[in-house]
Amino acid sequence: MSTQFPWLTIVTLLPLVASLLIPVLPNKYGKTVRWYALAVGFIDFALIVYAFWQNYDFHTSDLQLTETYSWVPQLGLNWSLAVDGISMPLVVLTGLVTTLAMFAAQSGIQKPRLFYFLMLAMYSAQIGVFCAQDMLLFFLMWELELIPVYILISIWGGQKRLYAATKFILYTAVGSIFILVAALAMAFYGGNVTFDMQQLALKDYSLTFELLVYAALLIAYGVKLPIFPLHTWLPDAHGEASAPVSMILAGVLLKMGGYALIRMNLELLPDAHFYFAPILAILGIVNIVYGALVSFAQRNLKRRLAYSSISHMGFVLLGIASYTDLGLSGAVLQMVSHGLIAAALFFLSGVTYDRTHTLILEKMGGLAKAMPTVFALFTIAAMASLALPGMSGFASELMVFLGLANSDSYTSTFKVVIVLLSAVGVILTPIYLLSMLREMFYGQQNPELIESGNALWDARPREVFITACLLVPVIGIGLYPKLLTHTYDVKTLQVAERAQAVVTAIAHQPMPSSARISAAPHLPKAPASELLGIVK
Amino acid sequence: MQEFLLQASWWIPCYGLIGAVLTLPWLTGYIRRTGPRPAAYINLVMTVVALIHGAIAFQASLHLDPQPIVLHWFKAADLDLSFMIDISPVSLGAAELVTGMSILAQIFALGYMEKDWGLARFFALMGFFEGAMSGLALSDSLFLSYALLEILTLSTYLLVGFWYAQPLVVTAARDAFLTKRVGDVLLLMGVVALATIAGTLNFPDLYEWAETATLSPTVSTLLGLALIAGPTGKCAQFPLHLWLDEAMEGPNPASILRNSVVVGCGAYILIKLQPILILSPVASIAIVVLGTMTAIGASLVALAQIDIKRTLSHSTSAYLGLVFISIGMQWTNFALLLLFAHAIAKALQFMSVGSIIITSSTQDITEMGGLWSRMPATTTAYVVGSAGLVGLLPLGGFWALREGVNAFWYDNPWLVAVLLLVNLLTAVNLTRVFRLVFLGSPHAKTRRAPEVGWAMAVPMVSLIVLTLLVPAMLQHLYLLPDWAYLNQTAVLLLALSGLIGCVIGASIRLTRVWSRPIQAPLKFLQDLLAYDFYVEQLYRVSVVWGVNVLSKASAWFDRYVVDGIVNFVGLASILSGESLKYSISGQSQIYVLTILLGISLLGILLIYPMW
Repeated sequence: MSTQFPWLTIVTLLPLVASLLIPVLPNKYGKTVRWYALAVGFIDFALIVYAFWQNYDFHTSDLQLTETYSWVPQLGLNWSLAVDGISMPLVVLTGLVTTLAMFAAQSGIQKPRLFYFLMLAMYSAQIGVFCAQDMLLFFLMWELELIPVYILISIWGGQKRLYAATKFILYTAVGSIFILVAALAMAFYGGNVTFDMQQLALKDYSLTFELLVYAALLIAYGVKLPIFPLHTWLPDAHGEASAPVSMILAGVLLKMGGYALIRMNLELLPDAHFYFAPILAILGIVNIVYGALVSFAQRNLKRRLAYSSISHMGFVLLGIASYTDLGLSGAVLQMVSHGLIAAALFFLSGVTYDRTHTLILEKMGGLAKAMPTVFALFTIAAMASLALPGMSGFASELMVFLGLANSDSYTSTFKVVIVLLSAVGVILTPIYLLSMLREMFYGQQNPELIESGNALWDARPREVFITACLLVPVIGIGLYPKLLTHTYDVKTLQVAERAQAVVTAIAHQPMPSSARISAAPHLPKAPASELLGIVK
Repeated sequence: MQEFLLQASWWIPCYGLIGAVLTLPWLTGYIRRTGPRPAAYINLVMTVVALIHGAIAFQASLHLDPQPIVLHWFKAADLDLSFMIDISPVSLGAAELVTGMSILAQIFALGYMEKDWGLARFFALMGFFEGAMSGLALSDSLFLSYALLEILTLSTYLLVGFWYAQPLVVTAARDAFLTKRVGDVLLLMGVVALATIAGTLNFPDLYEWAETATLSPTVSTLLGLALIAGPTGKCAQFPLHLWLDEAMEGPNPASILRNSVVVGCGAYILIKLQPILILSPVASIAIVVLGTMTAIGASLVALAQIDIKRTLSHSTSAYLGLVFISIGMQWTNFALLLLFAHAIAKALQFMSVGSIIITSSTQDITEMGGLWSRMPATTTAYVVGSAGLVGLLPLGGFWALREGVNAFWYDNPWLVAVLLLVNLLTAVNLTRVFRLVFLGSPHAKTRRAPEVGWAMAVPMVSLIVLTLLVPAMLQHLYLLPDWAYLNQTAVLLLALSGLIGCVIGASIRLTRVWSRPIQAPLKFLQDLLAYDFYVEQLYRVSVVWGVNVLSKASAWFDRYVVDGIVNFVGLASILSGESLKYSISGQSQIYVLTILLGISLLGILLIYPMW
């Protein structure tokens, strides 16, 4: 049956189409719009789960649920959607986190119509990014997601929201120019003009060209992931955004960077990846250690969590650079796991902010007495974040470690140094998370909190429910990672094998393998264009 | 039936966890009408079930060969991470010890925590604690053991932080977690390395691999040191020992477990790792050195403590130091014997201490005195516990230490000296504490001190009986030496060291108000010992300071350099735009002039090279 039911199109477009109805909905008590948006979000999530449950085959690494419609034939733009092992878990994650984020928003939020309209639009765009199989469509979806985030931060954010929102949009917009340029360059390379990723993968690029395109894409996705030194938009954006938006930012948006790195840099440009992998590993280490160190010095709760996100995304980079099935699988798992954990942490910090009206750690203290449930949930989320065994963070970080240690593409000295430095990061993580918990919850209650008239009520059932939805999968995956990994490991195996085939191919060339690591950073193009990324 | 229970012995750790989960309705406040007590009873019942199950399985295992149970947890390309459980008399015996201690501590907690509003939470944590420890006892895979060690770290953190509003708890819980985590993460690096080099993480396969493995000295040294880091943190050995002292801020029933079996868990892992550690001579030496340093250092530090729980916890560190020495010297029998004897005796001492604390509401021994006539059972518990610890009377501690003296007698006489010294210092300290707490005239806080209620008295008395029965148990297990082969000089020396210790402890002058010595050297010595040789201060000015400065520096760098460049670019573009806008005056002459100047400049530049 060739005319398959267009699940992905429906899933992608449903929130966007539904959001168009919001302006005309009667919204007398300010509740209809909220429930409407929530219902749409939930239905879409249910559809995603149902569609994958029914039609997704875990045993194949091919693209599935493929749909291709010609959209603008003059440009060669196709509406082409499909999922495989790398995107499928992330699509589900998007559905879950975005729906919960809408549920997390207070019912008395200002301008509810605009808020939920933007949330739904973002819902569509995120799924579109993960499903798009056409470079141009991918770019469109990528851009479509930027604008709602900008508005969401600049209207519902904290005190420095305009600065944060502008910084966010400038960073990501500059980054996406590189995507466009790279996409066009790849499309017009060689004889046939195509934007289709499958076709692009088949093209035979020259090495210089691949390196250039790789560097451009690395900058674009490095902004999103984020990679040091392109990360400074993130603490501002995460710190200033309201809790639901922070949930999506940390839970889904960062994963778009990691996903695109695997999808394009690793799959389309394996030759260049060979030269960039050591750089990725080093950047990953910098992310892990530097993020953790800076996080410890932050006095603002959300900024501390934001830097911890930077630190954790370093593991994704390490996994991508590892050249092994295990490491890559760990990178995907880390993305999903961090998506859930970071969403939970940001949501809980929103819950706390709701009571205390401050995010400065010094101004809190002794909250555990008044808010025992929040304390318990915060502790669980922090434990998950610091990679306690039995939680998903541990499984993914362990897989990355093992993947890197088993990798035979690096010298053992390089591996030992990398693993040891990331161990330093793993030791730093509990330092900042536990001192955060200590300052917030332990000790005597800060008298200022009461004097300024805050009512410190404990978590409401709605809040417990949202956190539970995020943390139950975390514990489930942590206890039995196969639950998640078996849904995609065919695909990661294939990607890793292909990447390794390139390694062996290049290793057979006269270049001495010991010179590889030292040779890679001397590549002429990479540092120069990165500098451009900062200056731009 | 026996066979079935033996096969199902992986259930033993699960009972504790199930108990912990079942307390949730009380924990979350869903059921309020009954009060938190049912939660405690549920946990107790689950522990009893675990104890009975373990006992039957233990009996059955005595007649059978050890057999493994394997559960595949995670499998990737060439790596198989599995949970392997070993069913042998040793592992089941260890699990029995854990559940037995847990049940006594839980009954004790019924009395000790009677009026605490967090009773349900406490028992849930105890169940969790017990489950993790008995799992550790049964585990036969390094990976599972590592994971359970981390769970133990978490339980310690939660139990120490139980009274989270108290000022000292605030840092104690965090320090306990961080110190152990440093050890755990280093151990994890060892685990990752082993998984890569050996390709397996199950102990039997690892032993097989270790027999034939040839590693370069650097690799084996690094590997060995990483592997001992985890147990070092768990057993509170130098340099990761400070947490145990601070952890005494937690509720006492948890301290009973922590000082008896939890620290033992670390040593148990080390014993399991020993065949791999042989690969690295440096690691073995490191274990002995660390153990010796801790054993002597902690014994000395204990002498100057005035907190009753802390002084005993330092002695725990000291005994675990002896265990470390024995593992490093590959005398596993001595290690196991000492762990067993120490676990029972120390638990008894801590029960006695718990009774004192709950009655007198203080932990400061200078505020106590004259309790012997008021609390006879507690006094007996303390005396029997001390006797079971020190090598003087023929109880558990004596026989364990004798085994050690015997083991080191010919080859390592200096280790015999260490053993005797630790024994002597322990005797001095225990006698000193006994005199201060139980003898002398009663103080304000110990004047009205009735004996504790049944919930605390019953486990205490049963443990007294148990401690007295340890020699009989050892006899039953054929662990006592034959009388004819007894090295009489060694035995005599051991008893003598204990006796001298007691005499010294009994004869030193104990000033009530703990006045400061006038001579400067003595004063310095007292402070040096009371403050743990200033190790904590040393850490504060080195590691803690270093991390702080580094993090401040990178935050500064992030803010003013990385972000500064970005903001500078933004500012520069705004400023240039703002200043350029004044050039738009609307007068066309100026525009023409600008164009003219521009073109001339361009022209000059073009022509310049031709000159």
